[in-house]
Amino acid sequence: MALPLSYPLRNIRARFARTLMSIGVVALVVVACTLLLGLISSLKRTVVSTGDPMTLVVLRKGSGNDGSSQVGLDAYRDVRFFDGIARNVKDLPLVSPELVVQPFAYTKEGGRENLLVRGVDAIALEVHSDVHITSGRMFNPSSGEAIVGKGAMGRYRGAQLGEELQIGHRKWRVVGLFESNGSSFESEVWADVRELAADAKRIFPYSALRLRAATPAAIEPLIQRINDDPRHALEAQRETEYYEKQAESANTLYLLVVGIAILAGTGACFGAANTMYAAVQARTAEIGTLRALGFSRGTILRSFQVEAVALAIVGFAVGALLTLGLEKVIALLLGTLAFGSASFTTNVISLRIGVRDLAFSFVLAIVIGFIGGLGPAWRAARMRPIEALRKA
Amino acid sequence: MKFAPFVFANLRRNPLRTLLTASAILLAVLLVCILLTMPAGLDGFFERVTNNTRISVHNKAGIVYQMPYSFTRKVRQLDGVAAAISQSWFGGAFEEEGRVSFPNFAVEAEHVGSVYPDYNVPQQQLEDFKRYRDGMIVGQATMKKYGWKIGDRVTLRSTVYPLNLDLRVVGEIPNSTPVAWINREYLDQALKSAGRGGLGVTGVIWARVSDPNRVNEIMRAIDEMSRNSESETATETEKSFFSSFFGSLQGFARIILLVTGLVALCIVFIAANTASMGVRERAPEIAVLKAIGFSRRVIFGTILAEAVLLSSVAGGLGVLVALGLTRMLHQASTWNQQLGPLASFMLTPAVLIQGLFLALFVGMLAGIAPSFGAARKPVVQALHEVF
Repeated sequence: MALPLSYPLRNIRARFARTLMSIGVVALVVVACTLLLGLISSLKRTVVSTGDPMTLVVLRKGSGNDGSSQVGLDAYRDVRFFDGIARNVKDLPLVSPELVVQPFAYTKEGGRENLLVRGVDAIALEVHSDVHITSGRMFNPSSGEAIVGKGAMGRYRGAQLGEELQIGHRKWRVVGLFESNGSSFESEVWADVRELAADAKRIFPYSALRLRAATPAAIEPLIQRINDDPRHALEAQRETEYYEKQAESANTLYLLVVGIAILAGTGACFGAANTMYAAVQARTAEIGTLRALGFSRGTILRSFQVEAVALAIVGFAVGALLTLGLEKVIALLLGTLAFGSASFTTNVISLRIGVRDLAFSFVLAIVIGFIGGLGPAWRAARMRPIEALRKA
Repeated sequence: MKFAPFVFANLRRNPLRTLLTASAILLAVLLVCILLTMPAGLDGFFERVTNNTRISVHNKAGIVYQMPYSFTRKVRQLDGVAAAISQSWFGGAFEEEGRVSFPNFAVEAEHVGSVYPDYNVPQQQLEDFKRYRDGMIVGQATMKKYGWKIGDRVTLRSTVYPLNLDLRVVGEIPNSTPVAWINREYLDQALKSAGRGGLGVTGVIWARVSDPNRVNEIMRAIDEMSRNSESETATETEKSFFSSFFGSLQGFARIILLVTGLVALCIVFIAANTASMGVRERAPEIAVLKAIGFSRRVIFGTILAEAVLLSSVAGGLGVLVALGLTRMLHQASTWNQQLGPLASFMLTPAVLIQGLFLALFVGMLAGIAPSFGAARKPVVQALHEVF
């Protein structure tokens, strides 16, 4: 004989205070875990998702990133006509000469950070296929205009469409905004490469070259050819590889957050399981009564399991709602989050709670409910009814 | 004291629950301690490294924008400036290609002692740094990391300039900083012989002001001096320089602290819940105790003692684990560009005490509510539940 489903559900109402406590605990666990997971996935998106396997980064040999690399005009002119480089509709090689400088930029709160400003040509948008302008337009060369990534837009003073951004020795008019699927380009400001070089007084016009290979098979020979060129001492690597290496230095941060998440999650699970455990244990007498009435062990166990899982689901729902609210509050209070990157500039990430983060927390909540409910229900169900009844 | 066996017996009543509660508290304390080392590391860094009479002069446009080297001399000659030194990022990588594992700069050897008297580099080592063009003074943290000794020879490959420098360790900065200084003269000549026309520029000028009361005035004077030149400067105190350097981390630190706060809250909640359940279970027993004449104070006291004992033992263990773990992390971690001094993982006594207090606080909070309720319950009502 099965216990009616209304029994465990009505129980939730009957012991309201205690139920509320259990729900609260599960909700807190969900909030803590989802926030940390959201942070981890936002970090990962920024650090790891940057780069295109068909694009190559060409740096001066021995320099770790484009912030400290230098590439001359002659090198650019030579590399441009190497075989295996893709061409656009106008038959121009897809090679983007770029200059990276790290001027001060001021955040809306007045903090000072090193902003990564990338000097590019118009061809850059074709080479970086994942970068697209979402509003406004591309800058015109030599007219003091710049476009701003989505992450930088929210963070810095003057980094809005139509406003003026003070960078280096002058002001730049922001004429466009761009996105790149959350990759680290979104933390950057792009301007005309010649104008930027003039403003930064760079002797070498470029820091690095980015180029697109015509076919996957062309990549290896192209890398070989660039690395072996005796004239310019250059080094080519896949863009994905390059950002992986950059991410290595952010690994400590990543590991730290993961470590915190594991610790916090374990602690919270202990607690939540404990609460569930206590909630069931307090009802030993009731279980004894049910056994005396003739309900089987399995039935009782299942019924308690249903109750615990139902509690966990409610707890998850409350926690998820809280987290989504908190996400907005954090965005409002802190704006975007930032961490330093290898080139001493600031990577901007925005905390976004993804479906995956929520799904993981959901599973966690169910597991907490299940395990927390199983032990004591099992014990209570196994108890001899007479003993259990004595407690009533 | 005579109630101690009673308290222990109560703790043993449900070992699984006691264990779960203790583990939760232990983890919470561990977490909070490790996280608190981060701001503590930053404060410690400021205390160790910065000095309120030292100021930084850099290009207004950014740290990576250079200034003419000659400006160093102008700053040095300014009235009220005791000493000044030019510092240029060398970005030397050791062993690992293209990865700078500790900050290293080219400086003027003859001015190190007068700008950084508080670093306490021994006089003889400063003399050696001046004498040997290929000399290098290395911070304690980096010395330890690579097991270098004075007299060792190392090669740094610059990530900024296309050259390698063979260097010899001539001195150690004894304040656990990772920074290393090489001779500006040496770099300058190496650049010239590589056909790149000398250094000519400087990244940051550090100046020591002779009178702490005149710091603001001198900072203004320096910026005034560069006004309308090719490279206008921005001058600020050493502390302000480093706090904006690590400023971008603050948002990150805040969210981590927020989450930790949540976890701590979670744990207080749980401990309170468990304690109240434990007490409720014992209601008949408490009624009997009261009926045979034990006072409210005793009942209140024993239940509170139980909660405090559990949380302080668990908290103490948590602090111990944190101590071991941070020691391991400290040894494993190297200078990190992302986290800077936040990742120093040094457990200061202050952090330890904060961790212990958290545990005690949780214990008190979790104990007070249920023990209060239990002690106040009328005997007759409680006995009703027994019979």
